[in-house]
Amino acid sequence: MIRRDLIPTHRALRVWVRHLIQYRSFYLAEWAGNFGEHFLYLLAFGYGLGRLVPSLNGLSYAQFIGPGLVVSIAMWTSSYESTFGAYSRMRIQKTYEAMLSAPLSVGDIVLGDLLWCATRALIGSILMMIVLMIFGLIGSFWAVAVLPIIFLEGLMFGSLGLIAAGLAPNFSFFSFHFSVVVMPMFFFAGTFFPLKGLPPWMQAFSEMLPLTHAVRIVRGLIIYGHADSFVWHLSILAGCTIVFMMAACAAVSRRLVD
Amino acid sequence: MFFLSAYDIDTQGLTKSFGDLKAVDGITLQVGKGECYGVLGPNGAGKTTTIKMIHGAVRRDGGRLNVLGMDGTSHSREIRERMGLVPQEDTLDNELTVYDNLWVFANYFGISRRQSRPRIEELLDFVQLRDKWDSQIKTLSGGMKRRLLIARALIHKPQLLVLDEPTTGLDPQARHLVWQRLRELRRQGLTILMTTHYMEEAAQLCDRIGVMDGGRFLVEGAPRDLVRERVGEEVLELRGVEKEEVSGALDGLAIDAEQAGDTLYLYCTNGAPVMERLMAAGKRDFLRRPATLEDLFLRLTGRELRE
Ligand SMILES: Nc1ncnc2c1ncn2[C@@H]1O[C@H](COP(=O)(O)OP(=O)(O)OP(=O)(O)O)[C@@H](O)[C@H]1O
Ligand SMILES: [Mg+2]
Repeated sequence: MIRRDLIPTHRALRVWVRHLIQYRSFYLAEWAGNFGEHFLYLLAFGYGLGRLVPSLNGLSYAQFIGPGLVVSIAMWTSSYESTFGAYSRMRIQKTYEAMLSAPLSVGDIVLGDLLWCATRALIGSILMMIVLMIFGLIGSFWAVAVLPIIFLEGLMFGSLGLIAAGLAPNFSFFSFHFSVVVMPMFFFAGTFFPLKGLPPWMQAFSEMLPLTHAVRIVRGLIIYGHADSFVWHLSILAGCTIVFMMAACAAVSRRLVD
Repeated sequence: MFFLSAYDIDTQGLTKSFGDLKAVDGITLQVGKGECYGVLGPNGAGKTTTIKMIHGAVRRDGGRLNVLGMDGTSHSREIRERMGLVPQEDTLDNELTVYDNLWVFANYFGISRRQSRPRIEELLDFVQLRDKWDSQIKTLSGGMKRRLLIARALIHKPQLLVLDEPTTGLDPQARHLVWQRLRELRRQGLTILMTTHYMEEAAQLCDRIGVMDGGRFLVEGAPRDLVRERVGEEVLELRGVEKEEVSGALDGLAIDAEQAGDTLYLYCTNGAPVMERLMAAGKRDFLRRPATLEDLFLRLTGRELRE
């Protein structure tokens, strides 16, 4: 039987509001920093490294890698927030303990945190898209349709991060999370190079990574304004997100309720 | 599932184990409406675990738990909507200011920012932290944090207030302020359950106390009655005296004697005749004082340190 306190309610928004209030105190500095970072990334990879890369299906390397960076940034942001951020709230700051003495449940806390992870992922990606726009790398008005996809991706990586935060005995555990979950997706989801032409086993591995599907949708939408096999990729993302979210609820509950 | 109950907290056979350790061992605790109940007990007695079961942060292994007329498991959220908690460990939001702490917490209860504002101002006055409203939590002293926790626990006008060691670490001024506030709340009709290691606090504030040890209640009752029944009216403390030295002189008097280290404690209803006998026996170095809750506590739970 599913415990009632694991089922999220609308009260998750109250958790999200708490994170937003806290964010107020440092967001400007962070935005400025992110913006600069994204700019450098695109210059270094897109134009620096890009000079060595032949055109890919008629795309310049900067065009190719831009959407990949949008997706990666969402992954990194959400992963940081849900591991280091959530762990500190759970174990060090006792923020969750306070929430549990108010009428919030474990489910509310998990969903609230995930909404927040997704929000930050979205902000990071939007900043990257602004950079892409400045470089003229956005090919279609339909690029705005990536925003809900990025949000979903944020929820997914937030869930994976919360699972790690629930299992982690200490902060060092997260280097494991980043090397086993985040880095492989960063490198092998088709962000930096096309998967076509790779050895079959590598291609099969990449197909299994949920991020690969996010990259395909986002690249399609940003460059051409539509994505092939959209429903298929979206279903995989949504399916993974739901499964990971349930696991995150269980993992966090283990930590919060004796 | 609402029960008509005279008690705001009503538990029976409440049990919790951590591995092999029985932290709470089948306790029955009943706190009436408008009553102030104090739980005393040495470190590790199970006080905090009991409180955590009441607000649902620890799941009980067995027993019945009814809070504010609602079942503790199925209605945990509804219970928390109507009770305030001051936890033993500081759970203030270190990343927010004093004011934001209170309004974010109000928001957890679904109270809007506009509605919460007058309430927050009133509460900051109540705990005398009005001038700190814009401070970061880390700039507050320990006593200020405790007071802010009390204010936070009252933000939603609860019917039941549960405080786990509300005055630990406070200076005498701050402690007296907290006592005054708690008495004020009691006058307003709040039901209060608190734990404390300060016997004077329990004696001053509580209608009834329970002394807990090893996960069970040893005794329960009004502080004065308990002291009178279990200890007596007066205590004589003799330093550097062994029990045997005075047992002859005190023959025939109704007293309890207890040796602890270099001190002999004599518990009695009337100290005058005992004093006369001691003087007659040439023992002049003693202290005569009224019996207190501390005597009761030490008699019940022993004088050895707990680990
Ligand atoms: N999460 C936990 N895991 C394992 N053991 C626990 C846990 N929480 C409490 N205990 C144990 O349960 C017993 C009761 O602890 P509890 O915190 O209820 O004591 P307490 O009466 O509040 O003590 P204190 O006066 O020191 O606050 C202790 O022996 C403690 O070590
Ligand atoms: Mg305790």
